Amino acid sequence: MADDKRSQSPMDKVWNLFTSLKLAITLIIIMAVASIFGTVIEQNQPIEKYRQFYSDATIRMLDALNLFDMYHSWWFLLLLVLFTVNLSCCTLDRLPRVVKVVRNPKTRLDDGLEKTLPLVDRWKKKGSLQAWAEKYAEVVGGAVGKPLVTQNSETLHLYAERGVVSRFGVYVTHLSIIIIFIGAIIGNVFGFKGYANIVEGQSVRSIPTRGGSRPVDLGFEVRCNRFAVSFYTDQFGNPTQQPKEYASDLSVIENGREVLRKKIVVNDPLQYKGVWFYQSSYGPAGGASARVRVSSANGGPVADLSFHAGQQVEIPGYGTITGVDYQQDYRGFGPALLVVLKKPGGQATEFWLLQGRPDSDRQRQDPYFLSFGGLSQAYYTGLQVARDPGVNVVWLGCALMVLGIIIAFFMSHQRVWVRLTPAADGRVEVVLAGSASRNRLAFERKFEKIQDDLKALAV
Amino acid sequence: MINVRLFDLTTLLFGVASVNYVAALYGKRDTLARIGTWICVAAAVVSTAALGVRWAESYRMGIGRIPVTNLYESLVFFAWAVNLFYLVVEWKYKNRTFGAFVMPIAFLTMLFAFTNESSIQPLVPALQSYWLHAHVITCFIGYAAFAVSAGVAAMYLLKARREESKTPGGVVGLFPSSKALDDLVYKAIIWGFPFLTAGIITGAAWANYAWGTYWSWDPKETWSLIVWLVYAAFLHARITRGWHGKRAAILSIAGFLATVMCYLGVNLVLSGLHSYGGS
Repeated sequence: MADDKRSQSPMDKVWNLFTSLKLAITLIIIMAVASIFGTVIEQNQPIEKYRQFYSDATIRMLDALNLFDMYHSWWFLLLLVLFTVNLSCCTLDRLPRVVKVVRNPKTRLDDGLEKTLPLVDRWKKKGSLQAWAEKYAEVVGGAVGKPLVTQNSETLHLYAERGVVSRFGVYVTHLSIIIIFIGAIIGNVFGFKGYANIVEGQSVRSIPTRGGSRPVDLGFEVRCNRFAVSFYTDQFGNPTQQPKEYASDLSVIENGREVLRKKIVVNDPLQYKGVWFYQSSYGPAGGASARVRVSSANGGPVADLSFHAGQQVEIPGYGTITGVDYQQDYRGFGPALLVVLKKPGGQATEFWLLQGRPDSDRQRQDPYFLSFGGLSQAYYTGLQVARDPGVNVVWLGCALMVLGIIIAFFMSHQRVWVRLTPAADGRVEVVLAGSASRNRLAFERKFEKIQDDLKALAV
Repeated sequence: MINVRLFDLTTLLFGVASVNYVAALYGKRDTLARIGTWICVAAAVVSTAALGVRWAESYRMGIGRIPVTNLYESLVFFAWAVNLFYLVVEWKYKNRTFGAFVMPIAFLTMLFAFTNESSIQPLVPALQSYWLHAHVITCFIGYAAFAVSAGVAAMYLLKARREESKTPGGVVGLFPSSKALDDLVYKAIIWGFPFLTAGIITGAAWANYAWGTYWSWDPKETWSLIVWLVYAAFLHARITRGWHGKRAAILSIAGFLATVMCYLGVNLVLSGLHSYGGS
């Protein structure tokens, strides 16, 4: 096609730009280079953090270029849009042509086609043209595929092909990119990403979202029954500092009823009604509380107390007690709690309660004695919460992408032509030709084999 | 630990093989290269055994897990894959000169691994997932293919320069023809590209399962995308615009530099979620 540059309308020029591979390669390289900036400049950090590294002038400049959140900036999105438009235009431009070629293959080897083919051979044989055609069709059928036989006056044409699907691999791959983008857009528009910190024993119903828009009402409640960290043990069975598992025991409560309960760990989330809850972090909720049991000296337990450091609790008919100190290992006796006991009208007394010896306080020879049951720390669990209705579309795109790449690179469209014409000397003139869209070296060997097999045939 | 001793032996074998291949080129002694091949085969056996032993040892320690979870392990796995990929190439192309350009990559990788902490550590909760296997294995097969491609691209550049100046002979004269080298640069990439693609996808699937987001533009993810884009540009330039030879070879080397940045640079220079290499 001879394009007359002057007669191109502006629309044509735009179309030509967007169907050009030059633009595609340019955009791919620009995206690759631009992406580097966002990995060198840490993204979405508080301004104080940037002040440690950059001067105010630099910060103003980087901010003006949206380089602190560049992957969501207008110019990066514009690049993605241009890339998608380019991809779509290339497909719209080329796919119909490929479909046309595939649906109307050149089944006859004419002189013009012959000149464009890399592998051509010719020879002459005595005998009937029809008989040779039948023999050759059998060999070609075994090597490539059942040939189509057509007749044009005296000439017989054989045409066989295989792997025609490989012509579409590239379009499957390109389509997959657009499908992935569609999935990402669906997720961004109709889904949300948020987080929830739930203290043990409490529940949440509304989830603050990342990005600061309004919190999302789940329509059900999620309760954290318990959070636990476990640690690896060393070869002697002693715990180490290396965390082995972060686990939250979660319940989903809908209309006042528990409808689902699951222990989630990292890499094993909970899902309910399309909302996913991922174990993400944890932390202490408030200070630790001490558990102290009050027992009667000549009987059983009277009360179980739990109190924070410095908190004064009353033991009815006895006095008040305050926890003032805790030691992990008190004089080699293990964990111990220092308490202050004040009886009405009496002096305040201070003494240690050993966790390992629940009866040690009997030595005060009082009507009541106290035993320390250990410290309790309440935790909150930090959950990532997400609903992404587009995610399956993304996976579909990913699967198609791998499939498309494999088709495009590892399958080959192989074509073989045979033309039989009566020669002037009464013999049959045979022309064999072939081409492959990929892996031409392997096809050359195959072609040579067909060549040898055909020539070795006798009628 | 037996596995570490076996990896040390592997390092030694890679080093001897590299020396053999290079010496074979300069001395034009095919026997040396033939010995190099057998050393590479031995190294393949030893390193495969080492991976198996390390896997078994982790079970004996009660923290059983696949040995591809920290910098040391990923380096030895990468070198293992490069060696195997190389042996396939040598066998298919019936030419031993590639060894002088590819085996030093495996050797240097093992030397770098040698300087890293090699003990078997238990898995942090974030890595306890079956996705780990699929993700790491696909990524590293891709990386290994790109390493081979870049090594051959370097050979191509030398060979092409020699052919231009029309001075045959010398070390470079033993190389396969520049056409064959150019073809191999491309072939290695069309093997690496689907594996890298699968590696990125399995990583995204895993991230979605662990954190609820399949793509968060963290530096590792972004660099893997950069690598993917460079090779995508290579493939388009080559297939549709006929970029062969020098320009293709340079793009292949650029792609491998981006791969090294993605694999090591991100952990050693930048910060992010894939922090296993930082410590």
